[in-house]
Amino acid sequence: MTGPAELAILGVGQTPYRRRHEGSTPELVYGAVRAALDHSGLEHRDIDLVIGGFAPDALAGENCPDKRFLPAAGAVGKWSMRINTGGTTGIAAAYAAMDLLEAGRGDAALVVGVERMAQARSVPAVFNSIFDPIYERDTGLSTVSMGALRATRMMQSWGYTAELWARVAERNFAHAASNPLAHIRTAYSVGDVLTSRMLAWPIRQLDACPISEGVCAVVIARTSAAARQRGRPLARVRGRATVTDTYNMGDRIGRREGDLVELLTLRMAAQRALGQAGLASAADADVVEIHAPFDHAETMAYAPLRFCAAADGPALVESGFGHRDGGGPVINPSGGPMAANPVGATALIRLAECALQVMGAAGERQVPGAATAVATGQGGSTQFSTCTVLSGS
Amino acid sequence: MGESAAGKVPPLTIDGHWAFDYTYYAGDAASRFFAELANRRIMGTRCPQCLRVLVPARGFCDACFVETTDWVQVSPHGTLETFTILTTSFPGLPEPPLVVGYVMLAGASSAVLNFVDGIDLTDPDAAGTAMLGRPPVTARFKDVCEGRITDFVFTLDEPA
Amino acid sequence: MRPVYLHGSAVSTTWRDASRSLTDLIFECVRTALGTAGISAADVGATVLAAHDLVDGRGLTSMVTAPAAATYLKDETRLGDDGALAFVLGDARVRSGSVDTCLVAAWGRASEGPIDEIAHALFDPFTARPLALTEIAVSGMRAARCLGDFPGYGRWRGAAAARRGVRPADPSRVPATAWPLRAGELPVWADVVAAVVLGSQPGPVRVGGVGMSTEPYELGDRDLTGLTALRTASAQALTDAGVDAASIDVLELDGLTLFDEALAAEAVGAAARGDGMSLLANSPRVNAGGGSAAGYCAPAMGLVRVARAAERLRNATTSQVGLATGASVVAAQVQAAVVLEGA
Repeated sequence: MTGPAELAILGVGQTPYRRRHEGSTPELVYGAVRAALDHSGLEHRDIDLVIGGFAPDALAGENCPDKRFLPAAGAVGKWSMRINTGGTTGIAAAYAAMDLLEAGRGDAALVVGVERMAQARSVPAVFNSIFDPIYERDTGLSTVSMGALRATRMMQSWGYTAELWARVAERNFAHAASNPLAHIRTAYSVGDVLTSRMLAWPIRQLDACPISEGVCAVVIARTSAAARQRGRPLARVRGRATVTDTYNMGDRIGRREGDLVELLTLRMAAQRALGQAGLASAADADVVEIHAPFDHAETMAYAPLRFCAAADGPALVESGFGHRDGGGPVINPSGGPMAANPVGATALIRLAECALQVMGAAGERQVPGAATAVATGQGGSTQFSTCTVLSGS
Repeated sequence: MGESAAGKVPPLTIDGHWAFDYTYYAGDAASRFFAELANRRIMGTRCPQCLRVLVPARGFCDACFVETTDWVQVSPHGTLETFTILTTSFPGLPEPPLVVGYVMLAGASSAVLNFVDGIDLTDPDAAGTAMLGRPPVTARFKDVCEGRITDFVFTLDEPA
Repeated sequence: MRPVYLHGSAVSTTWRDASRSLTDLIFECVRTALGTAGISAADVGATVLAAHDLVDGRGLTSMVTAPAAATYLKDETRLGDDGALAFVLGDARVRSGSVDTCLVAAWGRASEGPIDEIAHALFDPFTARPLALTEIAVSGMRAARCLGDFPGYGRWRGAAAARRGVRPADPSRVPATAWPLRAGELPVWADVVAAVVLGSQPGPVRVGGVGMSTEPYELGDRDLTGLTALRTASAQALTDAGVDAASIDVLELDGLTLFDEALAAEAVGAAARGDGMSLLANSPRVNAGGGSAAGYCAPAMGLVRVARAAERLRNATTSQVGLATGASVVAAQVQAAVVLEGA
């Protein structure tokens, strides 16, 4: 990034991601923030801004739950705000922190992405409530069927099959097996995916992310302020961009600028962020964390990230692309959202995992020698896209 | 004297109920769209700038950021652009399995979402695969229109 | 860092206008703001929005509503927080040089949802919700403390309330009261949209400085009448702008009730401790348009105050300085302050 202030991630703290956490939200937040501060080498007094991400409120059964958990992140007496952009909430919170730091509104920020969706006993109903109440809610739309409408169109347009997508799922689950924080750590096979319960044709249970809870905290600072951290690894922010599309999925069917499944917003965001970082393609990175809660959605991102032309996606999957030992970029060494998808945190986790990789701090899931990483974010009616490029110090 | 914080008790939970009632104002454009459904007409609005006919009707074009002007009736015949087969049950909605999909009606520039009825779903994979070829569909109106999007459904012009 | 200017603004305050959907209201207000700035949607480099899911009755409101705010294929983000906080983020986007023009918009449509129940859901399900707490109840506790501690509050509340204008007859527009608050001291619910255009090119109003601070969630941990966060936020904004409280000509203070507004006047240094209500009763500098009685719905109100202050500066015949504040939910837990300077 060539902005007025160079930015870097100094520390990451995460709870494990699980179906349900028994601790209170402030307790979970405190734990993750404490770990992030310890990792960063900064103290609480060094933090100027605290940005919280949570989405949607109804999943917690609390109105503006950030007001209850931000004090546990040390926000009292400091600047704080809550971001809510659906699936991209976590990364949008990080971008808000970066924007404020670049404007000189502080030297260091804490970003906290939180999810407590086990508190809702009516998750599908909550996900139906996000749709337009006037024209679309009556059709029983949910986040799963919204994904399925795209999957079907990808089968029509480019010849994807359930078998191909199951291979993507198998790779994500294989990677997750070496991530102790992942919610799903079973190395499910292609056969397991293809025989799991049908959710919304053609999506089956193991084509989709689980319902997860957890907290991710990240410390971001101006590199000038981080200078006294000399000797500690940094993850420098080399590029970032966010782009919003129309809500209406029907408006994107056959749209000249980009069809529903061409993911125009990610194409635009990636073009900007990769350009800022001087990368021709996300394939030039060592690690790519793709924010895709479904296997088909991961493959929808391949063309926008310039891995291949959209029509060549099925062949790319066939080639075994993205595996830890595959030679090319490693896709989702954490297992990605299919192994843990706490909505309000998940896009921040993509950033945090990329930061850990380029800092050489990813433990068992470390990709040896990872120097550059790309994280994407995806939210709304697949209408909010972000792309961030990080590199090691 | 203080006690040690280490003493552990079973975690407490309490039940909560999360229900809020709303009155959504559809606004002029959607109100007219729904009123026209009772006349068995599916209406779109035209953007004066990009000239797209937006269906269902909108008061403004969010891409050009201008108010729409003309009202345009579109054909009840169209193409099933994409679809899914729902298996999740929702309170107040018909029992699954259900087919829901986006249809590009002739004369429209954007696709409209609705149920697709009359499909044999005994074998979902067979039914789904058979509909992948963007089959032609037609909107069928219910006998009594209530001013909801579900006043019409789509049916395949030829059995899958 | 570059200076930031306010080029245009708009506020729409309506009630139950069935001819317009929520997105229609947002579209019209944003278009008006762009018009006053003399630019089109294509000129906007980034958009920062503020809206609450539960107020809007949409599980993830910006998914459906953001495109009505000129965000198509744009850089856009949304706060689930007060509009003045969104303004501070929008200011940062221009100040840092990342965009030349930033649109900030905030809204809340009180007529669509159950506002009192929504306010109740803000409170801790273990310790406060069982006690029927709402934000009005917290204002009631603030008012009781003021009346007990400061004789000026009792003496001037009637005159200050009279300045807020005529109350609408529709009972659904005013929340149930909490003693000792009187009807004329309560907010008037409305369908509110505010939009502001910020840019790097010189314009009629300059953003002089901003500040922000946060209080604890638990009410028992707060100084309920001291408004600690607002004291810190306004002091920061004044320091950032290099002006002192005494030189402020125009005050637009966000508070749920008349008592919250009076306490805000003290917190920003416009009135001495205990004299806030007297200032509201006697000074034309503060909330000239009637404050929360002119139409209220979170989280739009901080941005409404910024837009109203900017209007007053634009309409002033001399060069003046204004201070606008915005308070978040849970009884003003986060406060932002903005100093604006007229040309």
